[in-house]
Amino acid sequence: MEKNVKAENCTVNNGQQDQQDNEERALSVFASERNEDLTALSLVLVVTFFVLLFTKWLA
Amino acid sequence: MANSDVGRPSNVPLWILSGLLLLYGILVYSGMFEQLFKTLHVHKQVDLMEAMSFILGGVGVVTALMRGGRMNKPQTKLDIFVLETIPGILFIIVLAMGIRWFAEPLVTIMSDSLVPVLGFKIHKVLNLNYVVLGIIVGIVITNSWGIPAFAASGVKTARFVLKMGVILLGARYSFAELAKLGMVSVWMIGFFVLGTVFFVLFLGKMFRQPKSMTGVLSAGMGVCGVSATVACAPVVRARCSEMAYTIGTILGFGILCMFAFPTIGKIVGMNPTQFGAWAGTGILNSAQVAAACLAFNSVDIKTLKVGEIFNITRVLFLPVIVLVLASWYGKQSGQKLSFKEVVIDKFPLFIIGFLILFFMSSMGVFSPPSHYKGKYLDFSYNQRTEVTPEELVVLGSAQAAGIPGLKAEEQAAFNDLVHQRQIAGNYDERDNKSVFDATARKRMAALESIIARDKGGEITIAKDVKSAIKHAVKQVHKKSKTIVTLTDAMIWFFAYGLIGLGMQITRKSLAQAGGWPLVMGAISGVTKATLSFIVVMYFVKDVVLK
Repeated sequence: MEKNVKAENCTVNNGQQDQQDNEERALSVFASERNEDLTALSLVLVVTFFVLLFTKWLA
Repeated sequence: MANSDVGRPSNVPLWILSGLLLLYGILVYSGMFEQLFKTLHVHKQVDLMEAMSFILGGVGVVTALMRGGRMNKPQTKLDIFVLETIPGILFIIVLAMGIRWFAEPLVTIMSDSLVPVLGFKIHKVLNLNYVVLGIIVGIVITNSWGIPAFAASGVKTARFVLKMGVILLGARYSFAELAKLGMVSVWMIGFFVLGTVFFVLFLGKMFRQPKSMTGVLSAGMGVCGVSATVACAPVVRARCSEMAYTIGTILGFGILCMFAFPTIGKIVGMNPTQFGAWAGTGILNSAQVAAACLAFNSVDIKTLKVGEIFNITRVLFLPVIVLVLASWYGKQSGQKLSFKEVVIDKFPLFIIGFLILFFMSSMGVFSPPSHYKGKYLDFSYNQRTEVTPEELVVLGSAQAAGIPGLKAEEQAAFNDLVHQRQIAGNYDERDNKSVFDATARKRMAALESIIARDKGGEITIAKDVKSAIKHAVKQVHKKSKTIVTLTDAMIWFFAYGLIGLGMQITRKSLAQAGGWPLVMGAISGVTKATLSFIVVMYFVKDVVLK
């Protein structure tokens, strides 16, 4: 599942940084952080709207 | 995400999961578990149990049928994002249901039964709620049997769902809480929260720790333990093992403080306000703050009140810390980036969601703007705020007979309760809401003081009188349905996300972090406790509230 990355050195060179980023991506179904965040934000706003609808506006 | 046309995981586990969910739904519907649920105090969740079991079981069956028909075909986006992730999603949700409805209530019951022995609720002190239990379950599964192949894709949705929980976290707090606080506590907490965050960041640089580890630890040590850790982890892209380490460090340090603080406070002769301020600043977990305050002074609720207020203030700094950490993390080491690149391009979008909900909450969209976690005080005149006619008779008789030992303000508040049938301000001042509420709050505090002094054995009041006063206090405490529902949703998202993240914590990844997080946590924790001790002793005398 998770291939661990050695992060013992404070200076992470670009190659290692890319590798870390790729591994982080491998832990998500989304192709990019942006897509993940936007989907989460949209879904929460939908949830909030429905919660307000049923607990406040229609209650 | 690579597209693989290789054979998909078997459909059998999905059929089994769906069958189990439907069977559970039927058994709950039949009322078979009614007694068990009452014992576990989850009987009010029966409707939700039925709905979730039938809906998720149905989704599982439909998915299994669709997957069956596409077994040897190339994977499309529908497969990658939906059909292949659903088995894992159901697997995690089943675990979350088990934790929320069985494991967590069981832990609470066991912890409550240990109170006579220990003197405090161990599950609160160790934070053994769904958050920690979820992580533990995930860690146990991944380090014993490993993640089942059919669930692997679903586990990858964990962080995304956790982000949804963090966004919803914003709805629980409001800026208006700050208005109720004295400036001393705001300045003091602000200084210590930001100071601790920067100090941990400095230690991280000194000990050459990864930025993600340092960032998440700084939020945990600076703000308020577990929720801050969970909220800030995605901001600094912390690994699951780093989150686990941070939570462990915070709780461990808090337990030490919980026992050390009351002893030290008593030795140096702190007054109740000073101790409340010190505990609220130096101890991270709110349950541990409460335990320490009660250990120091179980009679006068002032200590606990001050401690809680300091604790609330710390949580209100969470959005500020999120912004600070996002900007700090955006700056790559050794690179000069413009403000736009740091704050706009590198800023995590989901945190904007957190801030949107925080502002909506502060504007009073979900609940009156003065709420905190959906709870607010409502002293307005209406029947839902009054005591019952029977209670009024009890209180009237007690007033006629007289209660020995009451202080002047307690007696006045008690008389007014009988006169107005509810806790309220002065009728003549009802048009001026702030004055009316301030008077009502004073009266409520006086009535709470009667209850606390009776508990401490200073005065004695009859059982039915005590119950009537408690009910009067309860009647003015209102809860926003909207916030309660949003909080429920948040809890499910967190439970789901943390089980999934727990599954990504292997022994190897924990070993990699080594002992440095513990060292950094201990140094920053002791420094904060010492500095706040000095500040409290010299600057906090007796006035932290307006």
